[in-house]
Amino acid sequence: MFKLSSEIVLSTKGIVKEFPGVVALKGVDFDLRQSEIHSVVGQNGAGKSTLVKILSGVYTPTRGEIFVRGVRVRIRNVRDAKKLGITLVHQEATLVPNLSVAENIALALYGVRGTVFARAKEKELLELARNYLELVKLRIDPRSKVRDLGVGERQLVQIARAIAENADIICLDEPTSPLTSMEAKVLFEVMEELRKKGKSMVFITHRVEEVFQIANRVTVLRDGVKVFTEDVSKTSPYEVIKHMLGKELEEFYPPRVEAKSLSRVSPRLRVVSLTTASNGKGVKLEGVSFDVYPGEILGVVGLLGSGKTELGKALVGAQRVVSGEIYVNGVKATIKSPVDALKLGIFYIPEDRRREGLVTQLTISDNIVLPKVFKTSSMSLIRQAQVERSIAGRWIKSLRIVPSDPSFKVANLSGGNQQKVVIAKSLETGAKILILDEPTFGIDIGTKVEIRKLIRSLASEGYSIVLLTSDVDEALALSDRILVIASGRVTNVMENRNLSREILISMLGGQVG
Amino acid sequence: MVSTPRNLREILGAVTKYELGGPLLALALLVAASSALSPRFLEPYNQRILLLQTAPLALIALGESMIILMGSIDLSPGSTMALAGVVSAAAFRVYGFQLHASLAIGALVGLAVGAVNGLLVTKARIPSFVATLASLVAGRGLVLVLTEGQPIVGLSQYRVLTIELVGVPVMVWLFILFGAINYVLLKRTSVGLLTYAIGGNEEAVRYSGVRVDIVKLVNFSLAGGYYAIAGLMMNARLEVAYPWTGWGYELDAIASCVLGGIMLSGGVGNPLGPVVGAYMLTLLTNVLILLGVNPYLQWVVKGVVLVTAAVALTRGVRYVK
Repeated sequence: MFKLSSEIVLSTKGIVKEFPGVVALKGVDFDLRQSEIHSVVGQNGAGKSTLVKILSGVYTPTRGEIFVRGVRVRIRNVRDAKKLGITLVHQEATLVPNLSVAENIALALYGVRGTVFARAKEKELLELARNYLELVKLRIDPRSKVRDLGVGERQLVQIARAIAENADIICLDEPTSPLTSMEAKVLFEVMEELRKKGKSMVFITHRVEEVFQIANRVTVLRDGVKVFTEDVSKTSPYEVIKHMLGKELEEFYPPRVEAKSLSRVSPRLRVVSLTTASNGKGVKLEGVSFDVYPGEILGVVGLLGSGKTELGKALVGAQRVVSGEIYVNGVKATIKSPVDALKLGIFYIPEDRRREGLVTQLTISDNIVLPKVFKTSSMSLIRQAQVERSIAGRWIKSLRIVPSDPSFKVANLSGGNQQKVVIAKSLETGAKILILDEPTFGIDIGTKVEIRKLIRSLASEGYSIVLLTSDVDEALALSDRILVIASGRVTNVMENRNLSREILISMLGGQVG
Repeated sequence: MVSTPRNLREILGAVTKYELGGPLLALALLVAASSALSPRFLEPYNQRILLLQTAPLALIALGESMIILMGSIDLSPGSTMALAGVVSAAAFRVYGFQLHASLAIGALVGLAVGAVNGLLVTKARIPSFVATLASLVAGRGLVLVLTEGQPIVGLSQYRVLTIELVGVPVMVWLFILFGAINYVLLKRTSVGLLTYAIGGNEEAVRYSGVRVDIVKLVNFSLAGGYYAIAGLMMNARLEVAYPWTGWGYELDAIASCVLGGIMLSGGVGNPLGPVVGAYMLTLLTNVLILLGVNPYLQWVVKGVVLVTAAVALTRGVRYVK
C-alpha cells in the first residue's frame, strides 16, 4: 500500500496525463526520498519528461495526486512548483542567452519573489551570483553573457539558478545528453555535493551507465507505465535495460525471414569515416563507415543520443558533414541537401513524422505526391487531379492506409497510418536507398507488424535499407547485418546470425558514453 | 452566445466550416448593416466607386496572400506599387514609350523587386520581414530619387484601365481576372501545393527533397508583379503618378489577408479570401465617409475590426508570436 514515510519528500499517486490522441502517463506512482538522486529512465516516449514536467508545474496532470512532505498539493503552474521548492532544469537551456549569468540568476529570483520592479544593485547581484556559482563549482565571471558559455556551463548555471530559487527538489531532464563525458563528470560531482547538502534530485537520462555512476535509486518507465523501481545497489544495467525495452512484444514480431543469400558484390551505398560538425546540439558523429548492398537491411542500433538520427540526417545532407565520403553505386557523391540526396535515390524517413515528415493540414494525396508534383503536373505546373488520385489510390491500397479516401486530412490519421503516408511518399519518389529512423515508434502493435513486413518485402524487391532503431527486437527481426552505434561511433558490426537478444542488449548497455 | 437558438448556431457552425465561410458571412453582415445605416450605400454610383477603390488593394492583397500562405511576410507592396507606377509613367511621359510598352515596363519593375526580395530571403538567408522592410525603405527612396518628389502628370491615356467594358470598369475586370488566376495558381498547380505545404511545414517539404527556394523565389516575384499592376491602376485612377502612392498600403494588404481568413502562421486560407478582405476594408472606409465619421476615428474603427477578425481566426491557437 501507499505509505508516507517521513523521509519521502515528494510522491505521486496514480498520475495520468492525456494529450490529444495520446496517453503519456497511465497512472504512475513515484516517490523521492530526502537526499536522494532518483534516476528515471525509459525509451523515447516512455513518459519521463512528462513526469518531471508535471512535478514542476509545466503540465497539469489529467488525474492523480501529488504529495510534498506528506501533504497533498496542487501544482497548477511553474510558480506553484517553485513555491513548494521544486524546480526543473530543462532539457534545452531556458536561460536568456543575451543576458549575463548574474542577470539570469536574478531573473529567477524576481520570478519567485514577485518583485518584477525590484531595483537591483549591480554589485549585490554579482555578489549573489558568485555565491551560487561557487556552489556549483563554476568559476566564471558572473558578468559574462550566457551565449558565450558552453553547454555544460549552461547546465550548471541552470542548477545554480535552481538553488537560488531555494529549491530542495531539483528535477533534471536529460542534463547529460548534450555534455561530453568530462562535463558530465563535473555535473555529477556537483549533484553529489548537493545531495550531501540535503537536496533531492530526480535525474532523467537515457544512458543507463550514468544511473550506476550517480543515482541511489532507479525507476523505469515504459509506454507511460512504471515497470520497475529498485535501489541501484540491488540491480544491474542489464536488468534495467531489459525493463526499458520490454519483453512481451516479442511474440508479435514476424518470424525472421532469412534473406535470399545476398550477393554482396558491389555496395549501393558506401560511407567512409563520416564525421559531422558538433554544433552544441545533438551528437557528433566520428568516423562512421559502413556499406549497404542492394536488397540488404542494415540495422543501425543505438539508444537515444547514440547519434543514429544524426547519421540519418547526415546521409541526406541535413546535418553538416566535416569529413568523410559517401559513394553511391561506386561513384563519389556530394550531398549538400535532401534535394541532392533524392537525385541519387536516397530518401530519409524521419523519426518525428509530424514535425519533419508530413504537412498535416494537407491531404493524404497531397502529401504523397509532394516530392514529385512537378513531374505529375502537366508542363510541370498544372496539377492533374486524376493522376494524383490514382497514385495516392495505389499506395492507399497496397499499404492499406485507413481511411482510404485520398482527400482525407493527414492530421486526423492515426500514427501508424501517418507513417504509411510518409513511406508511400518516399517510395513514390523512386528512391532506392531508404533511411528509416525509428519507423515503428509510437505506432500501435498491429500496424507495427504491418510496417515491419513491408520493410522486409521492400528489401526483397531490391531496395537498400538503413534501419535506424533503438528497438533491439526490431533490429533482430529485420536486419541482415547489425551495426551498433554509441556516442557517435560505431562500436560493433556483425552479421545477424544466431545473435541473441541478450548479447545485443549488453552491447548497448556496456558502452560507457 | 448561450441564448442563441440551436438552429442559428448550427447554421453558423456549418458556414464557418468552409475556409471562405467566415469572411463571406462577415461581408454579408457588413453590407446589410451599411445599407441599413446609409441609403446611399447601395446606389450604383457608390458601388462603382467602391469597386474602383478596391481594385488596387485587392491586387496587392492577392500578392501578399501568396507570401503569407508560405509562412513569410512581405512589407514591400506599397513601395513596389509606387516604383512600378512611377517608372511606367516616366517611360511613357519622359522617354516616349508607347502606352502598352510602358505598362509592361511597370509590370517588369514589380517582378524585379519581387525577385530581389526572393533572392534576399533564399540566398542571403534574411528573414522575409527584414528583407522586405529593406525593400519598403529603399523602394520608396528610389521613387523619390527618380521623381525628385514631384508627381508625373498627364497620364490621361492610362484611362484604358478605367473605361467600362460591359458596364464594368476594366480595372474591376482585372481584379476579377487576377482573383481567378490566383485561385487556379494556388489550388490547381504544383507551385500552389508547395506554397501551402511550405507554409504548413517547411521542414517536411525540405526533407522531401523539394527545391523550396525556387518556390519562394517564384512566389515573391509573382507577388511583386501583382503589386506593380496595382501601381498601374493607381496611375489610371488618378491620371497622375504620385511619389507617395501606396504609402502604408502594406499594412492594408496584410489586414485584407487577415480579414479574408488567411492565417498569418502560414498554410491555411482560401485564395479568394484576400479579395473579400480587401472589399470589406474598402467598404468600411466608404461607409464611415458616407456617415460623416471623423476621418481620424476611421483608423481606430479599422483597428478594432482587425483585432476582431484576428481573434476569430486565432481561436484555439495556443501561442502566437
